[in-house]
Amino acid sequence: MNTTLSKVIPGQMSLTPRWTETLSMAFKAIVKVKGGLLGAVFISIMLLCAFCAQWITPYDPNAQDIVHRFAGPGWAHLLGTDYLGRDILSRIIYGCRIAVLVAFGAVGLSSIIGVFLGVMAGYNEGEKIDYFLIWLFDIVRSFPQIILALAIVAVLGPSLVNVVMALAFTAFPFYGRIARAQTLSVKEADYIKAAEAMGQKPLTIILRHITPNIMAPVIVCLGMDMATMIIWESGLSFLGLGVRPPTASWGIMLRNGYKYIQVSPWMILWPALAIAFAMIAFSLFSEGLRVALDPKERER
Amino acid sequence: MLKYIIKRVLWMIPTLIGVLIILFCLTYMLPGDPATAMLGPRATPELVAALNTRLHLDESMPVRLGYYLFGVVKGDLGTSVWSGHKVSSLIFTALPHTVLLAICSLGMAAVIGIFMGAFGAVRQNSVISRIVTIVSLVGVAVPDFVAALLLMLLFCVKFPILPAIGAGTEDGITGIAVHLILPATALGIGWVGYLSRLTRESMVEVLDSDYIRTARAFAIPQRLIANVYALKNAIIPTITVIGLGVGKLLGGAVFVEIIFNRPGLGKLIVDAVYARDFPVVQGGILVATIFFVLANLLADISYGFVNPQIQYE
Repeated sequence: MNTTLSKVIPGQMSLTPRWTETLSMAFKAIVKVKGGLLGAVFISIMLLCAFCAQWITPYDPNAQDIVHRFAGPGWAHLLGTDYLGRDILSRIIYGCRIAVLVAFGAVGLSSIIGVFLGVMAGYNEGEKIDYFLIWLFDIVRSFPQIILALAIVAVLGPSLVNVVMALAFTAFPFYGRIARAQTLSVKEADYIKAAEAMGQKPLTIILRHITPNIMAPVIVCLGMDMATMIIWESGLSFLGLGVRPPTASWGIMLRNGYKYIQVSPWMILWPALAIAFAMIAFSLFSEGLRVALDPKERER
Repeated sequence: MLKYIIKRVLWMIPTLIGVLIILFCLTYMLPGDPATAMLGPRATPELVAALNTRLHLDESMPVRLGYYLFGVVKGDLGTSVWSGHKVSSLIFTALPHTVLLAICSLGMAAVIGIFMGAFGAVRQNSVISRIVTIVSLVGVAVPDFVAALLLMLLFCVKFPILPAIGAGTEDGITGIAVHLILPATALGIGWVGYLSRLTRESMVEVLDSDYIRTARAFAIPQRLIANVYALKNAIIPTITVIGLGVGKLLGGAVFVEIIFNRPGLGKLIVDAVYARDFPVVQGGILVATIFFVLANLLADISYGFVNPQIQYE
């Protein structure tokens, strides 16, 4: 549809860039920002750990070695072992998988749903559907997020999929609000009017012409939100309401560390460090994103 | 401004009704028979039937929703399935612990954060300015429950100088204060970093503005300029964020209360989740949500008061 539009109105092509173009432009800009590159490298390390966990871990994450339990860091087990003698390093690396899955899963799901509903609301400004969606967003935003997630998981039962769904449900209104506000400013633009005049269907206009143009502020939120999701997954797992043991998750490792806090400090320290690493990675990256996508900041 | 406040307050009514509907749906969505789910697999049929009648679980969904909404409006949040206590009285005993914790951690974070931020802005290359950077990084990197675990590891296990669990109510005021140190620090450390960075950024901007330059031209002492003229304007964004913080802390308090075993609202909710005591879960979440909504409202309104340039629609 972009091509037909650009044939009719030359020069308008650049106003509706493709998804991939936006992303690659953003990535090039982030790498130039101080810290952004470091964040990207850290996230790549996490992704590498998540995808290649079975090849790079020295031990099976669930293999028990009761004789050598509560071992401190040493040559046999670089980061020590937990209360069942399981290798902490292997469990941390496998924990990356859960963190990455939850971060991308929950943020992906909530941003797709949120942006779609937000654009719908903004495009139909002042109509019943708009009021209904604002109402829906405001209801969900009224809850303290983690408490709502906790209640949903309590009802659905603890599992990885349910955690992702619960976290996505608590976060989608934030994307909805951003997308709605952005849509209000974009939809009066000439190229939208042109698309309407050409008789394009509202759904096509929403997906092809509005959504790509409102993504910048949404993308900025994605990075920081991924960090938040990782914290909350760990938090829920820490409470025993997240991923089920014996799956290696940083939150479950902290839960076990809390139980044996008197015996071994390593069971808390290493997962805490892993979480800190992930948080720094995502916040550097999202700060880079923010600066990269904000023309005012880029000029500084 | 007044019109905006009235509009916001009125808008809260449909929102809170929606909140109640969601809370109601949560128990409605419980897989299987809710009474059996709450009482556990070993409950006798008589007990299940009694609970069904007591909670109106044998009625149709709209009727149950009606009962629930009507009860909440009357101030009746139901009774705990396990202890038989009124949910409202359980919340009433738990709430002061959480509010005290939130106020202490945010108060501490505000005082330290604003001081460090302002000082860091005035002396941009000083040690304090570096500390602001480090603390704000730590605040980002270490979420509150991890901070709580690390503090417990350090001050209760490695160097056992502070109490690890409880609220210390039996030891009087000093007991309460001592038991607050670690939880409040765990909850507040992220906020110290955040508030100090925020204050530093806005202070740097304010110190750069025309009226400060004019004040300097009038040879007003640097200390007076920084403390009175600049800080007053620089802490506006910080104040708003603190308002939002009260609501956010109620959520974060869940973990800290569990870890330090403080009998607050968060622990009440989580314990009720473990016990599948859904009336308590519903009531606890409702109260936390009301606090959250009110804190957001106050933050929005205060924003307009401290910064008259903001226009409300």
